[in-house]
Amino acid sequence: MSKRVTSAPRLFLRFFRWYCDPKMHGYIEGDLMEAYHARLIKYGKRKADMQFIVDVLLLFRPGIIRSKSEYRNLNSADMIKSYFKTGVRYLWRSKLHSILNITGLTFGIVCFLLIDLYVFDELTFDQQHTNAERIYRVVEHKNVRGEATTIAAAGFKLAEESKTSIPEVESTTRMQRIGRANLVDPENPVPFQEDVTIADEHFLELFDFPLISGDKHTALKQPASIIINEDLAMRIFGRTDVMGKSLEFSFLPLSLKITGILKNHPRNSSFNFNSVMSESTAHNSDWFKQLMGSDWASNAFSVYVLLTPHSNPDSVSKKMTRLVLSNFKPDEGTKLSYSLQPLKDLHLKSANIIDGARNPNVEGIPQGNPLYITIFSFAAMFVLLIAGINYTNLTTARASSRIKEIGVRKAIGATRSNLIRQFLFESWLTTGIAFVLAIVVASLVLPSFNQFAHKQLSLFAVDYRFWAYAIGAVVIIGLLAGSYSALLLSRFRPVSLLKGLKIQSTGDLSVRKVLVVFQFTICIVMIIGTIVLLLQVRYLNNTDLGFNKDLMVVIDVNTGAARTNFEVIKDQMSKVAAVKSVSVTSRVPGEWKSFRTVRISGEGTTDEQRVSYLIGADKDFMTTFEVTLLQGRNFREAYDSSNIIINETAARMLGITEASEQTVEIASVSPGGAFETLDVPFKPRVIGIVKDFHFQSLRDKIQPLIIAYNQNPIHVIDYYSVKIAPTDIPGTLEKLKGIMVNSDQRDPFEYHFLDEQLALFYVEDERRQTLLGWTAFATIFIACLGLFGLATYSTEQRVKEIGVRKVLGATIPGLVSLLSRDFLKFVLIASCIAFPIAWWATHRWLQEYAYHIEVEWWIFVLAGALATGIALLTVSYQAIKTAFSNPVDSLRSE
Amino acid sequence: MKKYQLGEFEEIVILTIGILNNRAYSVSIKDEIESRLSRTVSFGALHTALKRLEEKGYLKSFVGESTDERAGRPRQYFEITAMGKKAMRYTKDTRDELWKAIPKTVWQANLTC
Repeated sequence: MSKRVTSAPRLFLRFFRWYCDPKMHGYIEGDLMEAYHARLIKYGKRKADMQFIVDVLLLFRPGIIRSKSEYRNLNSADMIKSYFKTGVRYLWRSKLHSILNITGLTFGIVCFLLIDLYVFDELTFDQQHTNAERIYRVVEHKNVRGEATTIAAAGFKLAEESKTSIPEVESTTRMQRIGRANLVDPENPVPFQEDVTIADEHFLELFDFPLISGDKHTALKQPASIIINEDLAMRIFGRTDVMGKSLEFSFLPLSLKITGILKNHPRNSSFNFNSVMSESTAHNSDWFKQLMGSDWASNAFSVYVLLTPHSNPDSVSKKMTRLVLSNFKPDEGTKLSYSLQPLKDLHLKSANIIDGARNPNVEGIPQGNPLYITIFSFAAMFVLLIAGINYTNLTTARASSRIKEIGVRKAIGATRSNLIRQFLFESWLTTGIAFVLAIVVASLVLPSFNQFAHKQLSLFAVDYRFWAYAIGAVVIIGLLAGSYSALLLSRFRPVSLLKGLKIQSTGDLSVRKVLVVFQFTICIVMIIGTIVLLLQVRYLNNTDLGFNKDLMVVIDVNTGAARTNFEVIKDQMSKVAAVKSVSVTSRVPGEWKSFRTVRISGEGTTDEQRVSYLIGADKDFMTTFEVTLLQGRNFREAYDSSNIIINETAARMLGITEASEQTVEIASVSPGGAFETLDVPFKPRVIGIVKDFHFQSLRDKIQPLIIAYNQNPIHVIDYYSVKIAPTDIPGTLEKLKGIMVNSDQRDPFEYHFLDEQLALFYVEDERRQTLLGWTAFATIFIACLGLFGLATYSTEQRVKEIGVRKVLGATIPGLVSLLSRDFLKFVLIASCIAFPIAWWATHRWLQEYAYHIEVEWWIFVLAGALATGIALLTVSYQAIKTAFSNPVDSLRSE
Repeated sequence: MKKYQLGEFEEIVILTIGILNNRAYSVSIKDEIESRLSRTVSFGALHTALKRLEEKGYLKSFVGESTDERAGRPRQYFEITAMGKKAMRYTKDTRDELWKAIPKTVWQANLTC
């Protein structure tokens, strides 16, 4: 009989069961079966099956199909209320559990929010312009006989002509940073050394640099116009309503009229100019006239273009290349092409592009590092994940406390999906509470975070995308955290739940183990990462640079007088009691402005020309900076102006083993961009070789360096470097200032301490180290909260076992080790997984630096020991407490 | 007028339930209609009609015995309520009145055609 019944087409029967209204389902299925049975006897199986299928299909009609809405209504209003109530009660009842969960999640979300704000800020650089999506920077790719340069610069005509001859180009603008000069208010002449930026009249139309006053269409139109930002206005005038006032640049014979006040740049802007002069101011000068007439391919301008919507930048840049090549013929063997770089890539994707169209003494656009964006995004995700895992672990570990509830719910008729929904709701409730708390904590921490990260982040003035992302992430974490426990807890059979009130499930335990191991793996990787970063930054700051950077005051030469009278000034400075020695140089070791590079070859040889750095320095350079002379001699007197000293690397490059006045030839020089051929080649003689010293950041390998005499035809002096005694530094500075100002009233006395300046190279590294350190700390803290919770419940479950063991004579150390052993095992396994990952990651990161520490074995041991120690401390508290408890208490009630 | 509404198929179903008297459940109703009126009835149509009649209050159902050929599912028997009877009566009366109102000549005229 039952055979026949089951032979009805199962698929359709299932289909019927699925759609049928449960109220009618039983009767109708009975009918179907009865009819099927009758037909089976009458017509045979085939026909009966067919009829059955037809019946099922004909039953699929309104009135018989279950109505979804009836059940939905019940859930969405009443059930959610009920879930909420149960959830809150449950949180309230098990306070320790809830505190551990919510604290962990709050910590995780705070880290996540802060790091994401940081990352989001880095990713949204230069997005404040309305047309940001359509603005591109013109980048020139030049290849001279295999030697490629990529520079963000272009010529005057390119900017001017592409507007008219390329239809996709809506508008263009040119900008130049021509150098630094004193900017003074003629009514109150206090000199301020400022960058000089020139831009054409479309500059403010193409970009949206908001003006507080002034008209963006006309502000940069008239010659001798200048716009300044609030900061500069405050510095010069002490107020910002200074429209129409005049200003003077020390290098210009005319006075400039202020035609606009700019708002200060937001921190996430690549542009950092604080004043812009109208390009038309320069239009009458000879050099500019020449540019306007024929400059197709120079690197004199930063050119930005605004394309029409939906145009393809690649095809536009091809048209630009064609436009330039049809008007300009490059030298033999030179290839020239252009590309367009989206404005949004300026900050993070300009690593291989020289920031051109600027005087080398103007600092370039500061760059972000995409590697760290990746590292931080991962760190943020992992912290959140670890907090989520805590929730999963603690909830499943405590499953036994809810067995009765689940059993009763199931017995009354809750379906599995009801229970899943309930547990997911609870996990969202917990993450929701943590999210709100995290927002409060994050907004409290944010001011100090901003200060340290050198950002202007705000939780409430940020783009909606940030919040969409953050809320999305929190919802997903709630889902992930809740789903495992929801699936697990809803799986149990009601009968076994109510009868035994015990869960025999080993599966969830192993998942929990895997999760704990995963947490600790991440923790250990982060600990190792932080230690390596810490050591590397310390190494960068403390390594022997080959010269002495301490107590060195570097004074900028800003005026002609300070340059020509250097002998006198130097002499006066040396007479100050606290001054040990003085040197004049064109650049200093650890320079923050661009070095000049030259092409050099041995004279009379047909060797190909090599590239070397060059600085000018006087005879006191070596004593002042404590650079070691290996061979030959130092400069002596004026006739040394055609002699040079080279460093070891340059000596190796030129094949010089002994400094014996060999003549070398310097044919061309680059101020930081393309090489320009000298009118008369400079042919100096090598008189000495110095020991290599790190004249650049430790990211770079030591390059060949030529030290020419202070009077050399390539680079004039630019700095006084003064070695001072550590006593009364402010007094010494005051005296030095007196000397500088005496020589030229207009000198603003700009000075830096060399060690501070060098530390700036690595300030970002230090920030990253701190950020990563805190993240690692948060990760460990959260993981320990989880471990603590797990330890609490696992010892609670074994309390009877412990009681029995104690009665039978187990010792306390024995019991503690018994209870802690499991957790230690997790940490050890985690270490084994973490070590190779950490080694690989830190090793790769260190490749960023030409000079770096080695990742040594003791770092791993330390990290492992640290993780083990912390885990042990966390677990043993519970273990010891339980081990010391009186067995009577645990065994009395049975 | 709205008081007792009975569709054509509903009328047939409720009449058949009357015929079957106490033995009326879906399969027997279906068989009865099919044999008497020689028209096929799908379970879908029948159950919808039964459900609607029950909702209107013309029918009352009770759970009957379950048998093996029904795979253990119970039968659902139907019984006409007092209101159902009124509705049947009302329908019949209105139809009769309408019949009576038709002039005799209509039939003759029809016959000549």
